[in-house]
Amino acid sequence: MTLEHLLIFGGVCVITWLAFIYLWPSFILRVFKRAILVKGFGDGPIPVNTLCTEPQALFADPIHPPASASKLATTGVNRDTLPTVGWLDLYKGPQILHVPDMAGRYYSVQFTDPSTNTNFAYVGKRTTGTLAGEYLISGPHWKGDVPQGMKIICSPNNSVLVLGRILVYDDSDLPTAYALARQIQMVPFAGRQSSQ
Amino acid sequence: MSRALSYFAAFIGALCAYFIIHLFFSTHVRTMRNDVIQGFLIGFGLAFVTAQAYARIKAVKINGWITMLGLGKPGNGMFLRAAHAQLFPGPVNVPEEAMYWWTNADGAGGALSGRHDYVMHFPAGQLPPNDAFWSLTMGTARNCFVPNPIKRYSVSDRSGLLPSADGSIDIFIQNAAPTGHESNWLPAPSGNFILWLRAYQPGEAILDGEYTVPPVVKAKIP
Repeated sequence: MTLEHLLIFGGVCVITWLAFIYLWPSFILRVFKRAILVKGFGDGPIPVNTLCTEPQALFADPIHPPASASKLATTGVNRDTLPTVGWLDLYKGPQILHVPDMAGRYYSVQFTDPSTNTNFAYVGKRTTGTLAGEYLISGPHWKGDVPQGMKIICSPNNSVLVLGRILVYDDSDLPTAYALARQIQMVPFAGRQSSQ
Repeated sequence: MSRALSYFAAFIGALCAYFIIHLFFSTHVRTMRNDVIQGFLIGFGLAFVTAQAYARIKAVKINGWITMLGLGKPGNGMFLRAAHAQLFPGPVNVPEEAMYWWTNADGAGGALSGRHDYVMHFPAGQLPPNDAFWSLTMGTARNCFVPNPIKRYSVSDRSGLLPSADGSIDIFIQNAAPTGHESNWLPAPSGNFILWLRAYQPGEAILDGEYTVPPVVKAKIP
């Protein structure tokens, strides 16, 4: 092999090697993005900037998921927490996360940067406690005034995967946990301002 | 860790090495197109092998249980993130929020299978330390729930496990209900299975590696 070919082959080889290692997490998160925005838990797609909680029936009887549920709702075994998921696009402006009073119950809302699959922020029992609260979720370039009483979470990426987990104590507790999970909601910041 | 995947990664690695060596000694007339295509394919193969190998280096395996620290933490490095994508392909929690262990083997290294009966023995006070909850969940070899007559898919701090006289807790992992120990039964399928142990808001002892998960032990045949 001549030097010229060696350089071309070696260069392409090393660049491909680094690129795939770097991009691997984002490939996996792309699968999650599709599952959220295209299929959801079986009740159709979950619109962008909206949180959706796993239906009670699916949690109660995980053996017989509806045929329409995405793979992400049916693979993996978790009997502890009721998931609530959503995909944020902060390009057009921040979102407000509203969490209800969880009365001491374990819960967490995880904010994941889909380009690296790392969690840059948490709202939940460990980090913020279980009282009701509102959090402003902004993109990396947003500038503005944060309303009083609201904490700001600045995302390094305009796309964000939001994954909430609400502890279910037992089968009889499922409706209570579900009702609480449903109250974890996203509201656009812009809409909130104009309504006040 | 899946043995098949390890062999596959080793095979891909050997294949890439063979092609690289072959290229150096090949006397065929080369084109630039060949350089680019082969460079891309071999680069891709090596990326897969690197991520797999790094996952095996970084994974902690004690008593057959596999876990990894640093998942999901910003600034954890692109190699660890690639390894994460191989071993725990999903947006899992940071260690401070939750730790996960999984296994497809008993403490002696044998594949977990419903053809055998197993016991997991937690000595008194040795349940996974946590500030939220812990659980042990059953999955088929393909990580799906296991149908069973009592509709129990996991045991946990909320499932009413009964301690023994000395305060320890035995969990009976088997296909048929264990007579007299139904409350501590985690139903297994008839075929191979995997187990997930979770500790949410794990205690210091978990995060600094002091806590070890007890092995899943094949029950002695009476």
